[in-house]
Amino acid sequence: MVAKNLPTVPSGDPGALAKAANGAIQRINRPEITDPARVNPIVLLYCPDGALSLDEKGIAISYKLCKGCGICAKESEGIAMVPEYTGPKGVF
Amino acid sequence: MNKILITGSEAAALGAKLAKIEVLAYYPITPAFPAMERLSKYIDDEELNCKFIRVESDHSALAAVLGASLAGARSYTVTNSQGLLLMTEVAYHAAGLRQPIVMGVANRALSAPHSRFPEQGDAVSQGASGWIQLFCENNQDVLDNTIQAFRIAEKLRNPVMVNYEGYIQSHTLEEVFAPDPEKVTAFLPLNRQPALDLNNPRGVNTVTSPEFYPDYKYQQNEAMVQALTLIPSVAQEYSQEFGAKSCGLVDGYRLEDAEHAIVAMGSIVSTARLFVDEMRKQGKKIGLLKVKTWRPFPAQAILEYLQKVHYVTVLDKNIVFGVGGALATDIKAAAYGQGNQVINGVILGLGGGKCGIEEIQEAVEHTESSEADKNRSEWIGL
Amino acid sequence: MIDFKNLPQEELFGQGNVGCKGCGAAIAGRQAMKVLGERTIITIPASCMATLGGNNTKTTWKMPFYHTLFECAPAVSSGIRAALEIQGIKDVNVVSWAGDAGSADIGFQSLTGAAERQEHMIHVLYDNEMYMNTGGQTGSQTPLFAITSNGSLGKPVHKKNMLAIMEAHGIDYVASANIAYPEDLMAKFKKASTKKGFSYIHILAPCHRGWGIKPEETIEISRKATESGLWELFEVDEGKRTRTYEPSFSPVADYLKSQGRFKNLTTEQIAAYQKSVNSYYGRGE
Repeated sequence: MVAKNLPTVPSGDPGALAKAANGAIQRINRPEITDPARVNPIVLLYCPDGALSLDEKGIAISYKLCKGCGICAKESEGIAMVPEYTGPKGVF
Repeated sequence: MNKILITGSEAAALGAKLAKIEVLAYYPITPAFPAMERLSKYIDDEELNCKFIRVESDHSALAAVLGASLAGARSYTVTNSQGLLLMTEVAYHAAGLRQPIVMGVANRALSAPHSRFPEQGDAVSQGASGWIQLFCENNQDVLDNTIQAFRIAEKLRNPVMVNYEGYIQSHTLEEVFAPDPEKVTAFLPLNRQPALDLNNPRGVNTVTSPEFYPDYKYQQNEAMVQALTLIPSVAQEYSQEFGAKSCGLVDGYRLEDAEHAIVAMGSIVSTARLFVDEMRKQGKKIGLLKVKTWRPFPAQAILEYLQKVHYVTVLDKNIVFGVGGALATDIKAAAYGQGNQVINGVILGLGGGKCGIEEIQEAVEHTESSEADKNRSEWIGL
Repeated sequence: MIDFKNLPQEELFGQGNVGCKGCGAAIAGRQAMKVLGERTIITIPASCMATLGGNNTKTTWKMPFYHTLFECAPAVSSGIRAALEIQGIKDVNVVSWAGDAGSADIGFQSLTGAAERQEHMIHVLYDNEMYMNTGGQTGSQTPLFAITSNGSLGKPVHKKNMLAIMEAHGIDYVASANIAYPEDLMAKFKKASTKKGFSYIHILAPCHRGWGIKPEETIEISRKATESGLWELFEVDEGKRTRTYEPSFSPVADYLKSQGRFKNLTTEQIAAYQKSVNSYYGRGE
C-alpha cells in the first residue's frame, strides 16, 4: 500500500482555493456593471468572495470568484443582476 | 552524572527542565501537581526560560500546548486521571496533527467511584489516541524517559506520553542519577518545524474528504510503526551518552532459562523484580518482562522473550470492562498462533488496591493451577 | 470615509471560499483581514468560518490558519502567542475567531480564561445568532422569540449579553461591530491590534439561510439591526465607553418582519421589543 504524498501535518496550500474557484456553479444571476460612474466602492467590502477589485477603470468583477449573491447590486447603483441562463423557455 | 534524591514528580520536572521546554501549560490536579509546581518554580527562579500559560482547564492546557507546538515551540504538560480524560479530544487532535508534544501522566484511577489512588486506567483510556506511551518502573525511568520522549517525539513528529504512577512514584523519593545538562542539550538539538509559520503560511486541519482522510491515518500509523525501531535506538544512544542503562521497548530480567514469565509495566515491575529474586532463591525458574513501551505495542519484542516459557502471568493495573487487562489482551492477541504458552491475565491494584509480593505470588500460582480459566482475567486482592 | 484607493488589494481571506453565496461570516472575515494584514495567525474552532476556508489540500487563507477543536480556540491562540514570544517573533496579530457557539457557549470557558489572563490577542465572535454550521439550532446568542431548526415555537428567553460579560473582564478593548458598517468595523480592528492585552470584537454577521432572508439582503438586514437600535455599535476602550454610531431608530418591526425567523411574532411581542429598545436609549416608552 502506498499512501498519497500528503504533508505530515494535515494542511492545505495558501490561497489555493482561489485558483480552483468556480463561482458559476452557484450562480443563477450574475452582476454586471451598467454604469461604472455610479458604482459605490463600498461593495468591495461587502462582497463575501473577494470577487470585486478596483483598477484604473473602476470596479472589476471576477466571474471565476463571484457566486452571484447579489449583494453588490442591492447595495450600489450602477450594478444590475442579469440571468445566467437565457436559453429556451416554456417547456413544462 | 550526579546522584540525587528526588520524587517522581521532581524527576518529571527535571526531565522537562533539562529538555529546555519553551512553553508549559497545565491545570492543577492531584497527584500530578508537585511536578507542575516544581516547573513553575524553575521558571520563577529563572532556571528555565519558558512561557507558562495559566489555563483554566486541562482541556485548555493541552490546547495551549498544542498551539505552542504548532507555532514551533518545544512544549510540555503534565496531568492525570480526570484531567487526561478531559484532554482526550485534544489528545487525538494533537496526534492527528503530528505535534511533538511531551506529556507526563501521574497515573491515577478514574471516577466513579471517586478515587485519588494509583492505577493505569487513565493511560489505558488513551490507548487508541495515537500517542506513544512509555511506562516508568522507577524515578530514574521518569527522568530518562522524559528526556528520551522529546527526542522520539521530535524525530517522528508524534506526541509522547510518559506514564509514572501517582504517589508510588510521584510522591516517593528515590536515588536518581541526573545527567549533565549540557549533554542533554546536545542530545536534544532544537529543530523547529512550525506548521503555523508566517514565512510559509499553511491552512492547518482543513476539511478532509474520504479521498485523503485514510491516507493521513495511514501516515500516522506508519509513524507508530517506525517508533518500534526508533525507541530502542534512542534508548541505546541515551545509555551510551549518559552511561546509564535504559531499555527501549521491553527489558527481560532472569528470563534466560525461565519457565514462567511475569509481564508488567509501571511501578509493579519493581515489586515483581523482588518477587522473582525471591523465587529464584527457592529454585523456581521464573523471570520478568518489563514493558516500557505500550504504544506502539511491541508485539515482536515481547514474543521474542516469551518463546521458551510455559507460563505467562500478565499483571494489569487497569481494566477494560468486559475484556480484561489491556496488556494481557494485547499480549494474547500478539501470541495468537505463535506458541503454546499459557497466558493468564490478572487484574490487581485498581484504585490503589493491593498489588504486593503476596498478590503477585497468588497470580503466579493461579496461572500454574489447572483450574484457571485462561479466557477470563483473574481478579486478585479483592 | 474609507480610502478605497489605498485599501490593501491583497485578499488574505475569502477568494474561493466554499461558503454559501452571500455569507455574512465571509464578509466579516474579509473586512477584518484588510486591517489585520499578513502578519496574523488565526485560529478558528468548529464553525462555518472554519470549514468554508479550507478544503483538503487547498485553503482560501494566505496567512497561517488553524481549524481548532470547538471549545478551545482562545487557549490555542494563547499557546501560539507564548511560542512567538519565546522565539522573539514580534508584530504579529494573534487572533481567535469563533462563532456564537464557539465563543459564548461551548467555547466560553477558554474565552473567559484567556480574557482573564489578559492574553495579548484578539478574540472575535462572529454572530449569526444560531448554530448555523449544524443547520441552525438555538443557542445562547439566539434572540428572544426567534424560530430555529430545533425551536419551532421561538426562543422563550433573551440573548445572553456577551459584550457586557466581556466588558466585565476588564480587558483592554471591547467592541461591537456590524458587517454593514465596514468603516466602523475596520477602525475597531485597527485599535484592537495596537493593544498589548486582550481585545474582544463582537460582529453581527447575518446568515441568510438561518434568518430566512434572501442572500442579497444580508447587508440590508444587518444594517436594519443597527439602525433600529437593536444592535448598538460601541466600544469600551480601556474602560471608556463610546457609542461609535448614532442609529436613526427605524422601527424595530421593519427589522423583525423582514426575516423568516421572526415570522410568528405577535404585535405584542414586536411592541415589547420596541419598548425595550426605547427604554435602553432613553426614548420613553
